[in-house]
Amino acid sequence: MSLLMLEDVAAGYGDTDVVTGVNLQVGDREIVAVAGTNGAGKSTVVKAVMGLTPRLSGSVVFDGHELTRIPIEKRVSLGLSYVPQVQNTFAALTVLENLQVVERVANRSQRIKDMFDLFPALADRRRTAAGDLSGGERQQLAFARALMSSPRLSVLDEPSAALSPALTAQVFEQVRRCPEAGAAVLIVEQRARQAIEFSNRGYVMDSGRIVLTDTSANLLSNDRMAQLYLGQH
Amino acid sequence: MIWVDLANATINGIVIGLLLALPALAVTLVFGIARFPNAATGDFMTFGAYTVVAAKSLLALPLAIGVAMACALTALLSLFFYWWVFRALVRRSPVASLIVSIGIALVVRSTITFFAGQSQYTIEVPLVRAWNFDGVRIVPTDLYIAGVAVTALVLTFCLLHLTPLGRRMRAVADNMELARASGINVGRVMITLFAIVGFYCGLGGVLIGIKAVVLPELGWELLLLLFAAVILGGIGSPLGAIIGMLVFSVSQEIASLWVGASYKIVFAFFLLLGVLLLRPQGILGKVRAVR
Repeated sequence: MSLLMLEDVAAGYGDTDVVTGVNLQVGDREIVAVAGTNGAGKSTVVKAVMGLTPRLSGSVVFDGHELTRIPIEKRVSLGLSYVPQVQNTFAALTVLENLQVVERVANRSQRIKDMFDLFPALADRRRTAAGDLSGGERQQLAFARALMSSPRLSVLDEPSAALSPALTAQVFEQVRRCPEAGAAVLIVEQRARQAIEFSNRGYVMDSGRIVLTDTSANLLSNDRMAQLYLGQH
Repeated sequence: MIWVDLANATINGIVIGLLLALPALAVTLVFGIARFPNAATGDFMTFGAYTVVAAKSLLALPLAIGVAMACALTALLSLFFYWWVFRALVRRSPVASLIVSIGIALVVRSTITFFAGQSQYTIEVPLVRAWNFDGVRIVPTDLYIAGVAVTALVLTFCLLHLTPLGRRMRAVADNMELARASGINVGRVMITLFAIVGFYCGLGGVLIGIKAVVLPELGWELLLLLFAAVILGGIGSPLGAIIGMLVFSVSQEIASLWVGASYKIVFAFFLLLGVLLLRPQGILGKVRAVR
């Protein structure tokens, strides 16, 4: 049984559905990438999972729980974590406070120590306000914040946005290691080819719909799909 | 003798500034966390002042118990309006909440006037002789008032910066959506916020009632001053609200030495304009680039 299952999901803002008829699954300890052109509705899909879209129909089931009936703040305790594309840290709080503020964390002080071991650059800046960090440090903090609650599924919305290639590689390496730590990953990425390379499966979106889903190997070997949707990096 | 007058004006300005810093802090906390300017703040202060008047005159209770009652009942009043009205407006425009808060202010003031009339009341405290240091006068009552205000302000900063609840409040102020996605129960944070806001409005109302006279327009007439101080200090900055209120209050008192009491507020607003020209974000306001 899938850890996350979206069935016939339509979501959007105001009177408009940005995505329709979305069916998507993420298995336990699986990395699943969602790729597509700008405006295809990739971020709306992950926002729908987190309950952050004003309009939502269809079914979103996580670990047997129908999420559409569960308040956003309670989804953390079910094992979901989320890294938004922008404003993904609390800018006015220090690095340490960003980690302390996450709710429902067992053995918090040990978990914070684990995060500082995982992201040593953050340990040196624990008293610095997140708003004063560099882009790369802030992205690491966003990732550490999402891992604090030992999630079963991390939902990542373009974690490499505005990062240098070197920092992107670092972030992707962390994503790649999530299944070892017990977490599945649903990742939306502009650098679709790179994301699909380290994923188990991928979904390709266009104009608010999923147009293709397959294993990463098959997606990457499909020349026409690769040319149209996956780009060169 | 000018320095003596200056010293007395400064002391008076500091005392008034400190006690008005409590409702100014309430304004900036609501603005920072619930994201709207709460125009009912002044009338919550009035409610607090009248509660003490009622506790002393109708129930013959000691001042300390009256003050505790005022803080508790104003906190309940603030919570009541949050639960009844503001809770439903969380996802609406801040303008909707502002307009509604003006309505709440009118309701509170009209209700007070209905029961207490337009008469002026005083909150009597034991008369004590001022200490005189070569013309510089310090009234012990003012020191007690300032002491209570400073204690309340220090406790607020401890709450905001040293407790998990304070961290949650600052997180919600920073990014409400991310706070919810981090498991923070925003509803509980709002309940705490409006209880604290009511408590400080009640306390601020009692303290200003001791310094001045209690009448239905007591808080409403201070509202513009509170908003101006919050803007001067930097919107959403608790420390900024206190500094802004102190600067505003001291500058008014000093100005009154030359321009008279009627025009002192004009001087303070000129100061506000001058500061905002040089520093549009206010004294402690921050402009952050966040992605």
